[in-house]
Amino acid sequence: MKKTPERIEALAAEYVLGSLRGHARRRFERWMMESVRVRQEVWFWEEKLGHLGSRIEEEIPPASVWSGIERRLWPQNRGTEPATAANDGAGRWLWPGWSLVATAATLVLAVILLQQPAPRDDQRLSGAIVQAEMTDPLWLVSESALERQLKLRPVAATAAEQGKDYELWIVPENGQPVSLGVMPVGETYQVTLDDKTRALLSSSRTLAISLEPVGGSPTGAPTGPILHVARLYEL
Amino acid sequence: MMAVDVEHDELMGLLIAVAREDRAAFQRLYEKVSGRMFGLCLKLASQRDLAEEAVQDAFVQIWHNAGEYHNERGAPLSWMLTIARYRTLDLMRVRKAKQTSGDSHLEHMEDGREGPLDVSLRSAGAAELTGCLEELSEPQRDSILLSYYRGFTHDELSEALSSPVGTVKSWIRRGLMALKRCLER
Repeated sequence: MKKTPERIEALAAEYVLGSLRGHARRRFERWMMESVRVRQEVWFWEEKLGHLGSRIEEEIPPASVWSGIERRLWPQNRGTEPATAANDGAGRWLWPGWSLVATAATLVLAVILLQQPAPRDDQRLSGAIVQAEMTDPLWLVSESALERQLKLRPVAATAAEQGKDYELWIVPENGQPVSLGVMPVGETYQVTLDDKTRALLSSSRTLAISLEPVGGSPTGAPTGPILHVARLYEL
Repeated sequence: MMAVDVEHDELMGLLIAVAREDRAAFQRLYEKVSGRMFGLCLKLASQRDLAEEAVQDAFVQIWHNAGEYHNERGAPLSWMLTIARYRTLDLMRVRKAKQTSGDSHLEHMEDGREGPLDVSLRSAGAAELTGCLEELSEPQRDSILLSYYRGFTHDELSEALSSPVGTVKSWIRRGLMALKRCLER
């Protein structure tokens, strides 16, 4: 489908409203990743329709919501200051001249960020594993270089057939697929990437899922059918 | 308008602090925004546990992505509510995908608790979009607001408004484009 201005305009509105669904929604998300023009159109609607949200009656969420957030963000160090990845050099590097920013809090963050060359190690990849005849993606994939984590969140994925498991692979540009382990269905699967697997993934940006015996491939290479292959996009 | 501006600046300051991983600022941001966010998610999903999960997910995202906020993305509050809204819609889709039979969203709401689109929402929407919603036809406006506030699918809208899906789709499409022309004036 061609990205005409009219189409971008119409689809962006429906994307933000939420009425754009299924495959069309995923395709439009790819457009967003590829084009700032598309993102700007989306931001227009997020801003405009966002006003509708601010008029809704408040409802205080139960305390468990906040404690859940704390648990998820700081599982080990509740209440103490942890040395998280984003606090190290890379994180600080994004925010030089901090005191200046703080005194002029309403300055546009984007401008500050644009003045930096995009740091190579803050790259984020994102994508979806889809199946042709299904409206929802099976899994949504996101990767953050800063956190060194690849995450696959199941949306419409169903359990593998009895006696089988799904195994996730990086498909490098050359050579054998590299296993990222067996994925349980029904919960988000997270893998921490080491330098080598990160490098493979950022150059090929291709993931595959194969059907393997329970516990994963006995040989270290895919033995069952390759069910899905997905490309990731830079966000 | 003064109060709104003050709040805008305060939220902006908090977001900047959160981008620096300031936890105290994050907690303050949560205290300031979570009520409105939870209200919105609850309205959208009509399910408390889903709305709670969405708020939780949204704040985890806000913590990680505060540095990506910039003013082209609207006011800080709209930006945060948008994150929560997308998350709620995602969770609603996942649940629907898991539902095997007719336990539809619509039946959920037609238990006499409230109609699909209550009057207060209709007027709130009108005020916030600087009168532009008034320029739409009634079905155009209702289908847009029902999609926004209740996350209705085309099929659900078609049922709620007793009209064919094709008609509903064109109400939304034409309504949104008319809205944009008005907002750009």
